[in-house]
Amino acid sequence: MDHDIFWSSDHPGIDFTVTSPGGNVIQSLKGTSGDKFEFKATQSGIHKFCFHNPFSTPETVSFYVHVGHIPNEHDLAKDEHLDPINVKIAELREALESIITEQKYLKARDARHRHTNESTRKRVVVYTLLEYILFVTTSILQVVYIRRLFSKSFAYNRV
Amino acid sequence: MIIIPIIRFNHKPLLHLSLLILVLFSSSIESLRFELQSGHTKCISEDIKSNSMTVGKYTVINPNEGYPLPDSHRFTVRVTSSHGNNFHYGDRVQSGQFAFVAAESGDYMTCFWAVDNKPPVTLTIDLEWKTGVAAKDWSNVAKKGQVDVMELEIKKLQDTVASIHDEMFYLREREEEMQELNRTTDSRMFWLSLLSLFVCLSVAGLQLWHLKSFFEKKKLI
Repeated sequence: MDHDIFWSSDHPGIDFTVTSPGGNVIQSLKGTSGDKFEFKATQSGIHKFCFHNPFSTPETVSFYVHVGHIPNEHDLAKDEHLDPINVKIAELREALESIITEQKYLKARDARHRHTNESTRKRVVVYTLLEYILFVTTSILQVVYIRRLFSKSFAYNRV
Repeated sequence: MIIIPIIRFNHKPLLHLSLLILVLFSSSIESLRFELQSGHTKCISEDIKSNSMTVGKYTVINPNEGYPLPDSHRFTVRVTSSHGNNFHYGDRVQSGQFAFVAAESGDYMTCFWAVDNKPPVTLTIDLEWKTGVAAKDWSNVAKKGQVDVMELEIKKLQDTVASIHDEMFYLREREEEMQELNRTTDSRMFWLSLLSLFVCLSVAGLQLWHLKSFFEKKKLI
């Protein structure tokens, strides 16, 4: 059974593990922010998909698991009662589901990019305004300092 | 009657997550099984288009088969939209279901709060949330029109294709919005750096002018 999985989170650092019903670890990722992969299930049963967040900041993880159900070619060939149209319909459904999987992945990436762009935009404005304030503050401090250098109370001791 | 060999393998993934899970399926059937400790909260979120049907079913998995489910294994569930409207609320329940037509487009969140038990228990909750094509009651459609199985399957495929098409339009719109956003960010950056240059020069000029007049006042120049 083919499984298509993709997941993504906001910041890198999420650990992800896929465990088969027998206890074997099929896939393990540490400290990443997303991945897309597929695997064939060797055993049937409950597979575990575990996300672990080692940091204290809460994270939002988006994931999608697609289970393929390609009818077994061997069984189909045996059963003569099966209408070839039904086989084609099954294949069509599989193809459509894989299109849906890709689309969901694109949607997730788009959402991620949008988020990055919006935060960049905000940061640009904030940092530039901070920069202006810093300019003005520094220059005022400079002027004040120079004035104090030349003020009466200093004059006798320094300049 | 020909039976279509599409085997819906009932695949139940089990997840363990820090806080929030966002699930992206919009036209598929999958049941999600996750663990919830007493007193903790887990939220599952899904992006639903407006005017699409969504159906959800949730239940606690009995850890001991054959014995009745302990009464202390209860949880509170709430389904809210991204605007804050409440669509379903279940207080201290062990199972239930909800169905509604999404009035607004956006992220819908189903949050589970496990009841705080004195010896902390870990509940295993099974959630089945279907939207879009999968949420439609196909057995009713089959009964109404007396369609045969193959026609039903093809109808399903047609609906799926229509939803894929709609998604494509949505993605196209989003891409356009993002392009616009990037363009305005770029022009904004340009003007802001030009402005910063102007600010720098004007501040320097003001400094010089001020110090010059100060020194002239002090009769040092």
